[in-house]
Order: sequence, then C-alpha cells, then structure tokens
Amino acid sequence: MKVYFELNGKAQYVDVEPGESLLSLLRRLGMKSVKEGCGTGECGTCTVLLEGKPVRSCLTFAPKVQGKRVTTLEGLGTLEDPHPLQRAFVEAGAVQCGYCTPGMILTAYALLETNPEPTPYEVREYLVGNLCRCTGYRKIVDAVLLAAEWKREGRWR
Amino acid sequence: MRLRGVKRYHWARDVDEALSLLSAYQGKGAILAGGVDLARSPRTDIEGLIDITGTELSYLRADSAGLRIGATTTLSAILDHPQAREYGGGVLIQTLRTVAYPALRNMATLGGAVVSAHPWADIPTLLVALGAEVTYQSPEGEKRLPLENLYQTDFRRVFREGVLVEVRLPPWEGAFAFAKITRNAGDIALLNVCAGLGLREGRIAWARVAVGARPARGERLTWLEAGLVGEPPTERLWEQVAQEVRARLEVGEDRRASAGWRREVAGVLVRRALAQAAGKAAL
Repeated sequence: MKVYFELNGKAQYVDVEPGESLLSLLRRLGMKSVKEGCGTGECGTCTVLLEGKPVRSCLTFAPKVQGKRVTTLEGLGTLEDPHPLQRAFVEAGAVQCGYCTPGMILTAYALLETNPEPTPYEVREYLVGNLCRCTGYRKIVDAVLLAAEWKREGRWR
Repeated sequence: MRLRGVKRYHWARDVDEALSLLSAYQGKGAILAGGVDLARSPRTDIEGLIDITGTELSYLRADSAGLRIGATTTLSAILDHPQAREYGGGVLIQTLRTVAYPALRNMATLGGAVVSAHPWADIPTLLVALGAEVTYQSPEGEKRLPLENLYQTDFRRVFREGVLVEVRLPPWEGAFAFAKITRNAGDIALLNVCAGLGLREGRIAWARVAVGARPARGERLTWLEAGLVGEPPTERLWEQVAQEVRARLEVGEDRRASAGWRREVAGVLVRRALAQAAGKAAL
C-alpha cells in the first residue's frame, strides 16, 4: 500500500507492507540513526517523533504515519551542523557506543519542547524508557540540563 | 516487529465499518488503536488490521455522571487533560504517570489497556477499583456493563467480535490512591493496589480496594471493603487492614515474585493506599 507522509520536512510517497513497522520503513529510507534494540518497545533506541511526540518506531505500524510528520535524528542536525542538543551530548561526554543516543536525543528534544526548565528529576523521569548500557545516566542527564540552559539563552533552533 | 501474514491495513471510518470488517475477516482480523500490544503479539494468523483511531473515539468529557473517555484516547492525552486532574483525588494522574514511559504512553490507549487486560497491568486494577463501566459495539448491538463483570466472562471472545468504544468513570465523593512495586521505574508491577474511600462525620462511608498482579488480574477485596464502613480512619485501623490482607488475600507465585512476598507486600501497599486516600478525602 502507498503511504504519504512528511519525513524531516520532506514529503514522502512510498510503498509499505501493511504489517511493516515504522522502524523498518525508516531504515529502508536511509534513516540509519533509527536503531533496533529490543524490538519490543522496552529499550527506546528506535524512538522517533511522530507529530513532535516520541513514539517507538518498532511498535508503530508504518501505515499509521499516513498524513503525519515524522522526525528522526537526521532531521535535527548533521555532522557538519549538529543541533545544540547533539553538541551538548558531546560536551557532557554523554555518548559512548552511541547506540542509544538517537533515541535519547529525540526524547530529550520532546521534553524541552514542553518543559524548557526541567529539574534533574524531571529529566530522569522523562528518559525512563531509554536505556543506556555504557555511560550510565548521569552524563546524559547533565547533557540535557546543559542543552536546556542553552535553549533558555536562545542558542537553539 | 513485522506481523507476517497481514494482507491489508484498513482505516475504519466509524465503528460500524470496523465491526463489519471484523466480521468479514472471520477471526483473522484485528482491531488496532495504539498497536502496542498487537505489534508485540506472536500471532501469525492476522490477515487484516483495522485501525480505529480515525473513528472519533479520542476524547475525555466530564459531567455530573463522572468522566467519559473514548477508547482510543492515549494515556498521554488523559494525563494532559485538565479535567482528568481532579478526578478521584488525582488518582488518574498518579497512576498513569507511572505506567510504562512517555513514548509508550503516547501510543497506548485506555481502550487497548482494557482489552489486553494483562494480569500484571495497572489500568485494570485502577478501573475495577473505580467501578468503571465500558461500552462496546457487538454484532448484537451496543452493550454497556461494569468492567468488573465483563472480566468475569469470556471477555477476550467479546473483543474478538466487538469494538470497545468508551470507558465511563463514575463520580465519587472521596478520594482514591494507587500504589505499586516494580523492579525499576517503567517496568511492569510485581503487585499493584488501588484503594479509595469517602468520609462522613469522621468515619468511613464507603471503601473500594483492588489488588492486581498477584499475579492474577486486579480484583476487588469486597470482604475487606465491607468491614471498613463505619470505622474511623486511624493508624490502628490501617494496621488491622494490613494484617487482614496478609491473612486472607489470594496470591500466587510466578518467575517475578513468590506468593509469600506478594502476601507481605499486599498488606503494606493496601495500608499505604488507604491511608493516602483517607488523607486526600479529608481535605
């Protein structure tokens, strides 16, 4: 079946299988930041933004994006021009193997959209469904708090 | 996830269309809202997915008869809804903000939680304690009954042939509180409790207590509720409640927790939930 949707600001008109996951569709379209971890919605590394809200792409049926906006990490920044949140993750040392990072950043982005001044507890509470097996969570929380500071200072986009 | 064998994805325009599609698939169709449970299901026999999120069943309304919540309303939408905040002394917010995590709450729907009815899930325990009524469309027409009664029947068959449309929560003079133990935040409960009460002239006028994940699904402790009416809400009473729950509650074991652990913890959680509800009801 055909699905029409907006991916990182660009219109897409693509064939999907009716039982396919959004994760599979996005990777087919070259969005390799979207990772499969557990495949059952537990780990958070496949998180993308659907209409600006974090969802698990591994549990989202691809046809569900019909007429909607999807954002992956590729839509936030590039290697040459990283998003401030990506810079904050680097600055705070919040990235080690990097596998959980896209999901962490997109979830954090959604948090800062609704709560520009989160407490450390609120950051932890919002990121509770994103698992990291390398760094522990302290530096990730630090990165989000640093990014929140930059956002309040207007260093954002 | 990739559900193998799915041949078509349908966007139902209304509940009637969803029902007739479901019937046409003769057991090989599945109703889909958030999709969280369906996407994780090991079923290989599904040929048609019937998405009902376009049928205007995402709403929350408050009136004198309590709250009416459409089946496809996401847990996040309930959490964000101003009229959900005060209900039952804030118990909807208290409970739902610890169910899974934001990304899943953006997908999972209240109706999905009712239909999936996992024995460890928090929402059936919450809804049974609150005396929720559900409305569904079946091939024989619209039906409405207390969720507690529906769970006593072969409800899985009911939802293979019918479509849940609404959950109604009655108004309560008093307050509810929710308590659970999980191994870590966002995990499923090892035991969950929802308890509520109302006060009149310093004494308990009514009480409702449900315990779930025992590991069986949440059910009320009517034997406990009856004995609370007329008593003053004191620490001494809560201590007696804890003892009675430990002595009488039916619990079992699974790979997550032993029966002995559940019995002990149930006493503590029921005591805590009742004490918290009493505190809120007295405000």
